[in-house]
This record gives sequence, structure tokens and C-alpha cells, in this order.
Amino acid sequence: MKKSLLALAAAATALAGPAFADKLDDIIGSGKLRCAVVLDFPPMGSRDADNNPQGFDVDYCNDLAKALGVEAEVVETTFPERIPALMSGSVDVAVASTSDTLERAKTVGFSIPYYAFENAVVGRDGVDMANWEGMKGKTVGATAGTYEAIWLEGKVKEWGEGEFRPYQNQADVFLALSQGQLDATVSTVEVAEANVKSGNFGGIKIVDKAPMVPDYVALITLREEYGLINYMNLFINQQVRTGRYAELYKKWVGEGVPADLTIQGVYR
Amino acid sequence: MFNYNFRWNQALNSLPQMLEGALVTIEIALLSMLIGISVAILLTVFRLSGSRILNAVATTWVEIARNTPALFQIYMVHFGLGGFGIHLSPYLSLLIGIAFNNAGYLAENFRGALKAIPETQTRAARSLGMSAGKAFRHVVMPQMLRISFLPMTNQMVWAILMTSLGAVVAMNTDLYGVTSELNARTFRTFELFAIAAVIFYLITKAITLSARLLAARLFRY
Repeated sequence: MKKSLLALAAAATALAGPAFADKLDDIIGSGKLRCAVVLDFPPMGSRDADNNPQGFDVDYCNDLAKALGVEAEVVETTFPERIPALMSGSVDVAVASTSDTLERAKTVGFSIPYYAFENAVVGRDGVDMANWEGMKGKTVGATAGTYEAIWLEGKVKEWGEGEFRPYQNQADVFLALSQGQLDATVSTVEVAEANVKSGNFGGIKIVDKAPMVPDYVALITLREEYGLINYMNLFINQQVRTGRYAELYKKWVGEGVPADLTIQGVYR
Repeated sequence: MFNYNFRWNQALNSLPQMLEGALVTIEIALLSMLIGISVAILLTVFRLSGSRILNAVATTWVEIARNTPALFQIYMVHFGLGGFGIHLSPYLSLLIGIAFNNAGYLAENFRGALKAIPETQTRAARSLGMSAGKAFRHVVMPQMLRISFLPMTNQMVWAILMTSLGAVVAMNTDLYGVTSELNARTFRTFELFAIAAVIFYLITKAITLSARLLAARLFRY
């Protein structure tokens, strides 16, 4: 009798275990956090001279793993591959500068914002452009699938003249710009400054700030993983609270104050 | 493991946009085939011409077109020529890239087809007083095109599928471009690409079927 009760209890725990385990449990249980990171998006994600992943997003993945007490594994994805990677279970979260639009939130679960980009208009020498409105009627482009690309394409449609071209990655956009195939692009201020400074692409200059709402980006996971989303929210809060956010900003972006992640006059 | 709830209505709302993209895809494939066939015939003539320079041009073309990825060829048309100040729109870059690839493969198909036509036919035509050009145009070429008709259909299907490579040159009005832009906006990856795959399948199926009907009409004995 006693024996069978014991067996029953063992069976019950064995059954109950997996039934209630969510992604957060799975990550801690497996001892590994797999993050999707976009690695052709400096300074957020790139590769160093030895081909190792580096950047703000890579450090955030490592920090999150450390907080969870597990090992971090960076899985390189492109912007469009983030969602298939999450849905097929090949990564647990995406630390990939994902803009938190309402349209996308119908499909994936967003944490609170962990970073915010300002966007700049980058023009080419010899193209007459006083401010961002100078892009009207020109051939402009941006990295496919990004927040600024969606914004810019909307603007071109609104203007009803000019042409919009979505290139596959940041490098192609700036190559096209410096070759003269594009007259201007919109990219994050971080990327724009890095590319103008590096001198890899000749004849480009920052023209103006792009007049869009700051591009708040968040961590993403599956929509129903509330336990993990809750944990990520607290993690982001702690990163700011402990000064780690400012520290990593200085490390990857440069001097200055990182973007304010709160919004005046509303909760969350 | 697969954690995704399919919501078809949202994706199906974008069907009209995707069908418009499909028209652009068909248009590019058709134009690239017309250009490809014309150039391939020219390359075949180059090879038959006996001129060493023309032969070298044709061989180089075929070698590059057949032995490098189509992705590379399209990318080079856009960014390679762009480096020399020749700026082609995404549409033209894609069209020329695919046409280049088509011409290379078709020239090789035509060469195979020529081998199947006995040389005695050319000799017979010449002995009837036809010039070399006339003999090629009236005797050899019609047979060459007939023999390579099915490989040409194949290439057409391949041209349709190659249009999806236009993304590397910022093409956004073809079927793949429209789909991936919708995906960036909504993140409904699986529905959107499933619909795109079905449209691609239907287009290529329609091409192979109509080619078969056309062949039955054209090549009646």
C-alpha cells in the first residue's frame, strides 16, 4: 500500500513537472539561454576581428543569461528570421533591437523597451538637401524590415513622388548611397555616425534628424510566455537601476546620455 | 515545438497586393526569357562563326552564367556596375541579371540541340545554294528551337523562381519583395510565405502546362 502511494506520488510529480513548466523553467532547467541577435547591425550587434559576436545586444544577452544563472548562446539571425527562429523553438528570446509596434505585438510578446533609437537622415555629397524634407522626390532607401524602412516607405507613398528601395542589410544601404544609387537614407543615429566616421563609405554626411517618434526597441519571446516576459521586464529595470545600461551605452555607443526609456504621462 | 497560431484572415487580406506582385514576377520572367533566348541564339552563332574572338566571348559568358550563383550575378549587375557609375534600378538589375543567367544556360541547351541535328542537313542546304546564314536560319535553327523547347520551359520556371533573388538589389514590387515587406510589418511569417509559395507553385504549374499544350500544337507532325 505504502509502496503504491509512493509510486503514485512519484508519478504525479513526474507528470506535473512538465505540465506546468514554462519557458522560464525550461531555460533555467536546461542551463542555457539561446538569444537571436542580428550581427550586421553595429553597434548593437557585429563580429570582432576573431569573428566572435560583440555589441550592445550581445552584452545584454550575456547579462540576461548571467541573471538567470545560465550559459548564453548567441544565435545569429537576420531581421526577418527573428520570428521563425522564435516560433520553431531554435531560440528562447530575441535580443535584436526589435521595434515594439502594435501590429507586431499581435504575434510576439514584447518586454518593456530596453533601448531607444533616434534616427538620422544621411545624404550624399553633391545632393542638394537642406533638411529631412529634402528627401521628397529623391531615390531613398533603408534596411529592409526595420522601423525606419517602414516609416520611410510610408513617407514616399505620402509624397507620391520619388522612389523607395529596401536593401537587405545596413552595409548594402550605405554602399548604394556612396555609389550614388541612393540620394539619402534614414538610419539610427548610432549607425549613421559610425559609418560616417569609419570612412568605409566615402562622400556621405548626416543631414538632419528624422522627425519620427523615437524607435523604442524591446526584447521579444513567444506571446504567451508571461513568466519570461515578466522576468525580462524586471531585468531591464535592473539594468537601468544598477547603471549597467549607461555603462554599456558608453562602451558601444559613446559619450553622452542614453535615451530615456520612460514616457511622460503614462504607465509602462 | 512549433509554437504558432495560424491566423489566415489577416494574411489573406494582403492577397490582392501579393497578386499584383505576382504579375510583376511573371513580367520579369517573360522579358528575361525573351532577352535570354535572343542572346543565346546570338551566342550560338558566335560559337559557330569560327571566329576565335567571338567564340571566346560566348564561352566566357556561358562559363560565368553557369558556374556562379545567380544571386552573385544579380548583385554584380547592381553593385558591380554601380561601382563604375552605371546605376540601374532594382527592376532593371534583376531583369538583366536573370536574362544573363538565362542566356548562358540556354546557349548550352542550344549547343546540345545542335549536336542532335545531323551536319549533313547543313551540307544539303548549302548544296542547294543556300548561304551559311540562310541554312542556319531556315534549316538548323527551327529544329534547334524545337529540340530545346522543353529545356526552355525549364529555364522559364527557373526564371520565375529566380525573381525572388531581387531582394538583394532592393526589389520590392515582385511577389517575394511584397511578401517580405508585409512580413516586416506584421510578423505573420508563416501565413504570408505559405501563400507566396502557393502562388509561385500555381504560376510555374501554369507555365509547364501551357508549354505542353503549346508544344502539342506547334510540333504536330
